[in-house]
Amino acid sequence: MQNMNIVQQLFYYFAHNGMYVLSQFDRHFLISIYGVVFAAIVGIPIGIFIAKHRKLSGWVIGIANVIQTVPSLAMLSLIMLALGLGVNTVIVTVFLYALLPIIKNTYTGMLNVNADVLDAGKGMGMTRVQILRLIEIPLSLSVIMAGIRNALVLAIGITAIGSFVGAGGLGDIIIRGTNATNGGAIILAGALPTALMAIISDSVLGFFERKFDPTNRTSQ
Amino acid sequence: MTKKMKRVIKLFLPLVALVVTLSGCSLPGLGGTSDDTVRIAAQNTTEQQIMAAIIQGMIKHYSNLDTTVINNLGSATVSFQAQKNDEADLTAIRFNGTDYQTILKKSATKDPKVIAATVKRDFQKKYHMTYFPSYGFADTYQFMVTQKYAKEHNLNTVSDLKKTAPQMQVGIDQIWMNRKADGYGAFQKTYGFSFGHVYPMQIGLVYNALASNKMDAILGYSTDGRIGSYNLKLLKDDKQFFPPYQASVVANDKALKRNPQLRPILKRLDGKIPLKTMQRLNYQVDNNLQEPATVANKFLKDNNYFEGGQN
Repeated sequence: MQNMNIVQQLFYYFAHNGMYVLSQFDRHFLISIYGVVFAAIVGIPIGIFIAKHRKLSGWVIGIANVIQTVPSLAMLSLIMLALGLGVNTVIVTVFLYALLPIIKNTYTGMLNVNADVLDAGKGMGMTRVQILRLIEIPLSLSVIMAGIRNALVLAIGITAIGSFVGAGGLGDIIIRGTNATNGGAIILAGALPTALMAIISDSVLGFFERKFDPTNRTSQ
Repeated sequence: MTKKMKRVIKLFLPLVALVVTLSGCSLPGLGGTSDDTVRIAAQNTTEQQIMAAIIQGMIKHYSNLDTTVINNLGSATVSFQAQKNDEADLTAIRFNGTDYQTILKKSATKDPKVIAATVKRDFQKKYHMTYFPSYGFADTYQFMVTQKYAKEHNLNTVSDLKKTAPQMQVGIDQIWMNRKADGYGAFQKTYGFSFGHVYPMQIGLVYNALASNKMDAILGYSTDGRIGSYNLKLLKDDKQFFPPYQASVVANDKALKRNPQLRPILKRLDGKIPLKTMQRLNYQVDNNLQEPATVANKFLKDNNYFEGGQN
């Protein structure tokens, strides 16, 4: 192995451990996605709620902000005290970090809905639920999407650190590379797929964000 | 309680509820903490990760239990705590000599037979954990030097180090320093000399440090694959200071009771991995850019998952 340069080593590594990398890629992605999906389930209603009760917004966003300022390794260790080692600890950590971008964007999206459109809805006799479902959510969907996009990219990075509490994922490969003799190629083999995953999910969600943007929609 | 506070509490109730439910269920695709998931703890050494993957492969082959590996644990104490707190069901490798000193806090003897019996009995009684029979390999600390250094100073045994010891830089496992019965203090007493500089470091790094001439000698594990890849000279422990530590899997009794298939599967590995085999597997991971999981799966296929034999 010593006579190969790092790129050759990398290819050699992928050729011999392809299935393993794929399974860890899979696991990494699932952990990130679960955290973000739970955060969306909790965060979007909270965002809508504080947009309707603006007095609470300072409080709620403040709390989410405080969560965000805790360094991820510290957060991981804190949650480990409660939930123990393993994958659930990482999912909860991802969940907490994903809350802020989702709540904040939902809140902003809701506030930016044009008051005239809301008035028109009210004038047509829409109920509050109808206004929410037919006007506010469709018009703020693109901003909410941007929040989820931020959250997912953040989540992929945090999941990589999750290997320290034994959750698995691509971080495992990176850590092993740091322990191995001449592990440069192994570190790359873990780091490159992680970066790739972040870039791909960012562009896929970016596509949806543009698709949901009301200014791009042509009237039919 | 003001109305406002009530509202805030109401807002965060779902959050708390979610955390509680999450900790009690398993998510599809991840193998969480449901009853039929076997959680295998593994430390951050190559050997541990290979054995964890072998156990995982065996369980998958012989049962339909889910498995998950809790990887990269920092030390034998951490993996023991994980098992004690029921965060893990079994540890891939435990060394009875290490557990004798660090977990049971004993230092009465260095007789391998007494240690094995004591650890097995006390783990069962005190912690309700079952120490399985050895995999077939024992690990022990061994002093190593490069072939060149050995020739220059005419070294064959540990006693030969006496002359050069005061000028030597020696890399050691960070936990060895403070061990009682077989630690540095006892070593100095038995051999009658001490080294000029001792550098405690993570065990995975010592081999590299020796090969790149940053150290004159190291204290490493006898099973490490890098002994072969760097062609290191092992110095004979002529005063029999370091006892051999038998390696075995240790499982929580609770987990064995919950999944009765587990015991016969783990028993199949009894004595199946001699020292040479472990060294070869370690070498493939440490030197040939293969993942522990890849090496383990190939090893199991080559050996037909130890079909037949005792059950």
